[in-house]
Amino acid sequence: MAFGMAVDRELVRLTRRLRGLGPILPVVAFVAAFALVPAAVLLANGVAANGGLGGLVRVADDPLNLQAISNSLTQGSASALAALAVGFPAGAFLGRYSFRGRSELLAVLVVPFLLPPIAVVLGVETLFGPGGAISSWLPATGPLGGGFGGIVTTNVLYNAPIVALLTAVGVESASPTLEETVATLGGGPFAGFRDAWGRPALVGAAAGAVLTFLFSALAFAAPLLLCGARCYTVEARVWSLDQVFLSPAAAAALAVLLVGFLVLPAALYLALVGRLRAARRSRERSPRPVPWRRPLLWPHAFAVGVLVAGVVGLLAAVLDAAVRPAAPGAPALSAFAELFGSGVTGRLGVSTLAATANSVFFAGVATSLALLFAVGTGYSMAGRPNAARGLRAVVFAPLVLSPIVLSFALAEFWRPAFGGGPTVGVLILLAQAALALPFALPAVEVALRRLPSSLRESAEALGASPWSAYLDLELPLVRDGLVTAGLFAFALSFGEFTATYFLATPTFTTLPVELYRLEGLRLPAEAAAVAGLLVIVSLVAFVVIVRGGRRVEF
Amino acid sequence: MSSSELLEVRGLSAAWGRTPVLMGVGLSVRESEFVVLMGPNGSGKTTLLRCIVGLEATTGGSVTLRGRSLDGVPTHRRGIGMLFQEPALFPHRTVWENVAYGLGVRRRPRAEVDRRVDEMLDLLRLRPLADRAPDALSGGERQRVALARTLAPEPPVVLLDEPFASVDVEIRRDLRSEFRRALAATGTATLHVTHDREEGLLLADRVVLLDGGRVRRAGRPAEVFADPASPEVARFLGYNVVVEDGTTVAVSPGDVEIVPPSPGARTGRVTLSGFAGERDVVEVELADGQRLECRPPRGSTRPDVGAQVGVRFQSVRPLTAEPGESPPVGSDSRSG
Repeated sequence: MAFGMAVDRELVRLTRRLRGLGPILPVVAFVAAFALVPAAVLLANGVAANGGLGGLVRVADDPLNLQAISNSLTQGSASALAALAVGFPAGAFLGRYSFRGRSELLAVLVVPFLLPPIAVVLGVETLFGPGGAISSWLPATGPLGGGFGGIVTTNVLYNAPIVALLTAVGVESASPTLEETVATLGGGPFAGFRDAWGRPALVGAAAGAVLTFLFSALAFAAPLLLCGARCYTVEARVWSLDQVFLSPAAAAALAVLLVGFLVLPAALYLALVGRLRAARRSRERSPRPVPWRRPLLWPHAFAVGVLVAGVVGLLAAVLDAAVRPAAPGAPALSAFAELFGSGVTGRLGVSTLAATANSVFFAGVATSLALLFAVGTGYSMAGRPNAARGLRAVVFAPLVLSPIVLSFALAEFWRPAFGGGPTVGVLILLAQAALALPFALPAVEVALRRLPSSLRESAEALGASPWSAYLDLELPLVRDGLVTAGLFAFALSFGEFTATYFLATPTFTTLPVELYRLEGLRLPAEAAAVAGLLVIVSLVAFVVIVRGGRRVEF
Repeated sequence: MSSSELLEVRGLSAAWGRTPVLMGVGLSVRESEFVVLMGPNGSGKTTLLRCIVGLEATTGGSVTLRGRSLDGVPTHRRGIGMLFQEPALFPHRTVWENVAYGLGVRRRPRAEVDRRVDEMLDLLRLRPLADRAPDALSGGERQRVALARTLAPEPPVVLLDEPFASVDVEIRRDLRSEFRRALAATGTATLHVTHDREEGLLLADRVVLLDGGRVRRAGRPAEVFADPASPEVARFLGYNVVVEDGTTVAVSPGDVEIVPPSPGARTGRVTLSGFAGERDVVEVELADGQRLECRPPRGSTRPDVGAQVGVRFQSVRPLTAEPGESPPVGSDSRSG
């Protein structure tokens, strides 16, 4: 009896300690082994192979590298500013006011983020490219279909909804009583903005803008497909140096500059999101009805309309292109028949069915891994703000490295040890898991934070073991968060193009890689059909996420 | 409208979606008067204040300030001060800057701002805290700063929405006397919301009782307490409401006498019996299921729980209104 009680006591103590420190170890080991250490070795080699730090200066002086750096800066800044211009007023409107369909609208804004970037690029081409749905009706919009304009349009369509969502989160964290107090003290709408809701809204918008800058400065598919070498970002240039010019040393040196270039915005993003989360923890606002009589609100409502039109237009364009006949006179959906036929298989060296199976397998395993790490990390973060900051930085590290540097480092570090063949598949799913984890974590974190802190204690006081308290009480309450995180991670991994393209051999071709190769083979109808498939998968994930009022967190 | 009436609400209605919250509410506040709006939770008190100040849309009725209709006037131009349950101090401004805020947004001259803020800091004994950040203040200090900030722009009337609800009992006692003193010193008319009947009766020049979105009773505190008129008001004021000889009456707990069971007395079973500070409390469940609260005088024998006892009413107050009816009782009520 006494022995049994002692064992129970030890088990409880052990469980508590494991709950504290245990879950941190796997995620830290994972990020270290499959991101940080390989990247550190790659970057060190990059410095050493070019004759030290002086060599890096020479790499930066190369006109093409210099142009890539400049492209990253200009494309990133222009995209962030444009996304801010549309996303901030829209987010302020969505955060402050309630109206019929508001929650559905907030949900729709997540859709572009779930879409594979390469499908968004195709959508922009379909809308604004030569003969596009909008450019043929409004020729002035032609420049938005290609070149610099096309890249920025793609980045804005992809990221402005995120700016709006983060702005709305910021506004929702502001105290409504503070805003009402300003009004009762005689302060007008500007004073309300300045002293009540403006600061948190700007923090949210700034986080969104910095994220837009990061994603845009790292854009890979858009410069490749919409513009070519003259628009390459540093990311695309690293790929080109390693895989086109077969110069891994130069690529590694540029990767050093790329990582150095990303550290500051990434740290800024983490700091801003941390502030947003802290404010959100303290209160959540109930939006008020829209005072439609205020003319100042109309531009805000218009910005919401622009965002929604962008999302709907993009989806319509991709799906419309997918169902169009493969050739004049052919029936609708004939591109799908071509896609799964022997012709495409012969030209690509892999069947679309196999590419689909690869996509499902990689995304499925990567999602499971990301979810497992997200749950462990989420539990470790609960109630430990300092540890949470550190863990968030660890989990975010693969994004700071960028998909190209991550896959480059993985290939350089692990391939010599294990050779090619199946190792490539393992590296792809590890890269996808590492890139999905930063986006799976927030949903789990928010779900765990909403758990009443007394729940487990009450259950244990009533005699439940820690394990049964978890299974019976906590798991059902965090299930929605886990579903959201899992679907979000799945959609991102399923559409992941950059790292997968860098690592994949024909055997491991996924649907986004197939789409890019079909574009290269000038088979636009088949490429559009693949984009349609990718969009449908993203939409299914989206519908499941929002059903039952789940919300994607950043 | 009397010339001394400052704020007048007539037939005000409001709804949340299709659920009516206020139904034709009328009340008025005179210059320098302290009116207390009382009622149980969910009676519409806060919604009424928010409608008056323009934070909630109304579905009917009117609000006038010094005879000027406030219909369509945005909150920041109404000139009515309001203090919320949470003090909502600006976290990035010092106490001094918080108090100066309302004057600043009205672009008052610097000298006037300095003078007025100093006056308010002195009035509410906040001068030593002037340079502090709101985070460094106690709950009571924050509420005093919030009142100073509300009074600084000299609004003719302030609305207080349960400002003492979030502080503990001792601080609450200090705050209510301090608030009353400051408001009297500035001559500011006040409409104060509370669900604490003792606080309401103590502070008010006049009370207005709201229940189910309607005004049930209004008048001077002593007058309303002596004649609650309707069962709802009687219950809110702490009376037992019983039917005696076919008439609904209100019986004060202190007027319920516990006697041995006898043929002439109502009988019941004691369900609660204990010491409750100034007087004991005994709860008796009558044969018809109704519960009576009794407060026997100190020194009398307290019956045990479960004992069968008889009860007798030493005095009763007949209720003139039917349940749900809103009688315009009270010569000084002016409720509409």
